[in-house]
Amino acid sequence: MGEWSSFISIVRNLSLLYVTHKYVGTAAITYGPSMLPTLNITGNVLLVERISIRTGKLRPGDVVILRSPQTPRKIICKRLIGMEGDQVTYVVDPKNSDRCKTIVVPKGHVWVEGDYIYDSKDSRNFGAVPYGLLEGRAFWTLLPRKDFGSLAPKPKS
Amino acid sequence: MRQWRSIAREAVAQVSIVVKFLSFLHVTDSYLFSFTHVLGPSMLPTLNINGDVVLVEHLSHRIGKVGAGDLVLVRSPLDPRKTLTKRILAVEGDKVTFCLDPPRDPTRDYRSRSLVVPKGHVWIQGDNWYASTDSRHFGPVPYGLIQGKVFLRVWPPNSFGSLGQ
Repeated sequence: MGEWSSFISIVRNLSLLYVTHKYVGTAAITYGPSMLPTLNITGNVLLVERISIRTGKLRPGDVVILRSPQTPRKIICKRLIGMEGDQVTYVVDPKNSDRCKTIVVPKGHVWVEGDYIYDSKDSRNFGAVPYGLLEGRAFWTLLPRKDFGSLAPKPKS
Repeated sequence: MRQWRSIAREAVAQVSIVVKFLSFLHVTDSYLFSFTHVLGPSMLPTLNINGDVVLVEHLSHRIGKVGAGDLVLVRSPLDPRKTLTKRILAVEGDKVTFCLDPPRDPTRDYRSRSLVVPKGHVWIQGDNWYASTDSRHFGPVPYGLIQGKVFLRVWPPNSFGSLGQ
């Protein structure tokens, strides 16, 4: 009887943790070069909140995590550049040419780009992503300790 | 003062039990099964226009076992607050040929088009092609927008049963 009630309480605590993770906020580990210099190539631990996504209070300039439209199991971290209806001008292939393209973000979609456009697979490659793929907004860096604090707005090139 | 404190402590304990139980229900709901009310003409004759209650399971799409021919709940790429019920006709890599139903603009051509579904995407269509806004209008949708697979209809009771191909 004792083991059963402790099992039940563990299940309940885990469920509460899960609901917080799904609806309030969570931590995320990021790695890769696409968000240099804002995030490290070897990894950061970020605090992510999910409330802005649900209430629609996102603004261009926010760092967001989203499900990749090409690989549905992968979660990627990019910066929000344009919401639906915005006009976005971007450099198509910065390593090879300076050619720019301007598009309007379609309804129900957002445009995301990595801060380090020379090595980032983002909306310039796979197009605008549906808003439903957004998972959370990263607002605070926990690790490494020297970067502890809120995330920088996009550095001007 | 001590009375209030013990009452407050008991209230917090009771509320936390309720909250934890509701969280447990929610976990079951989003990872196992849920009942969903679906309505609209886009899935006639499979689903009624006035509404059916169906049992949706949320496991298959997480392990990648959702494929062509399945009825799925999918988040709309045009309006993220809406959930659509459609059938998957093709998965990534398949070639899709489709006709747009007669367009409202009579000067536009009414011809069939073909395309290959890109990586990580699926092609969804309603069973009632004449009254359905689906991939023929907004293109293939990313697999990540699928929320669950519909497999059983529970209401109205005279059409209780599994929903097939």
